[in-house]
Amino acid sequence: MHEISIAESIVQIAETKAREQKARLVQVIKLRLGKFTTIVPEALQFAFEICREGTLSHAARLDIERIPMIVRCAVCDSSTEPMCGVCLICSECGFPLEIISGEELEIEYIEVDSEQEVSQCNQHQNEFQSRPMY
Amino acid sequence: MQPAPERISVQANVLNANQQTAIANRELFAREGLIVMNLMSAPGAGKTTLLEGTLKAFRGQMRVAVIEGDLQTDLDAQRIKALGVRAHQITTGTVCHLDARMIARALEAFPVSGLDLLIIENVGNLICPASFDLGESLRVVVCSVAEGPEKPKKYPVMFNKANVVLVNKIDLADASGVDLTELERNIREVNPTATIFSLSARTGEGLDAWTNWLQNAVQTRVQTALASA
Repeated sequence: MHEISIAESIVQIAETKAREQKARLVQVIKLRLGKFTTIVPEALQFAFEICREGTLSHAARLDIERIPMIVRCAVCDSSTEPMCGVCLICSECGFPLEIISGEELEIEYIEVDSEQEVSQCNQHQNEFQSRPMY
Repeated sequence: MQPAPERISVQANVLNANQQTAIANRELFAREGLIVMNLMSAPGAGKTTLLEGTLKAFRGQMRVAVIEGDLQTDLDAQRIKALGVRAHQITTGTVCHLDARMIARALEAFPVSGLDLLIIENVGNLICPASFDLGESLRVVVCSVAEGPEKPKKYPVMFNKANVVLVNKIDLADASGVDLTELERNIREVNPTATIFSLSARTGEGLDAWTNWLQNAVQTRVQTALASA
């Protein structure tokens, strides 16, 4: 269940970025997740719901974009999704294939409510800030 | 009226914090001129027995130490210490993998100066450790014959990231009904460039080829470091 470690990192990165921007609340965290990783989206969503508690992301939605695995053959100069599961040998010429995409695990952006626009909520903001970080 | 949310570009790798620590670990290992091997497999593939065989072969020839990762107990570290080799046990509690910070913390209490080779035996797990760089120079995955020939296809990320795949327990191939050629072909499918050794850590069959290869890798690195010093 390494998704917990991954979710903790996601919340921490969002927290740092949101505080830098003096945001009050994180609404959306957009994640790019390659298919050739060991991360299971459903397990990550579950872990995220636990890890976001007590942070600026406590009500945030985790939007996961699945990035397909694309492999390239340098000899045939063709890029495709791998055949027969994850076969990294070119079916045409037998050359080892290079992984072009599918290993992504990155936060693309976050969407936040900024402090200036909702100053009446400062009291809540202070409450969240006083809670410990992960 | 609710204000429109503001979008802030982040473009950050989620594992960045681990990666930064792994880079620091790697720099420290490079300064000390030692090879660091991250040894991974499913539980029960024979990592510790293989390690015992490997360490016996290096006796008097190389300065080696071992960091053991397990959820509970220091049984594996005890087995290594019984061979007269320095060992440090990390117990992760419930965490299913080692990460770079655990290694950095272990290094505070377990100095690696003067070593040729540091072996890190990861938590037995073919999924989670694949995502966490520890700062190693060599990733070795052990796959036992008894696990069946399809293991590499079922856990492609782990096998894809390996520099070396050790096919262990070949003495059980007949009893398990496993075709070693098929297993090797499946390893090649997910990792066409891996170096593969087939061996039995228990009987010692095929072990020499692996230990000679590793010894050569370590000595080459040591000579390179000396030349650049």
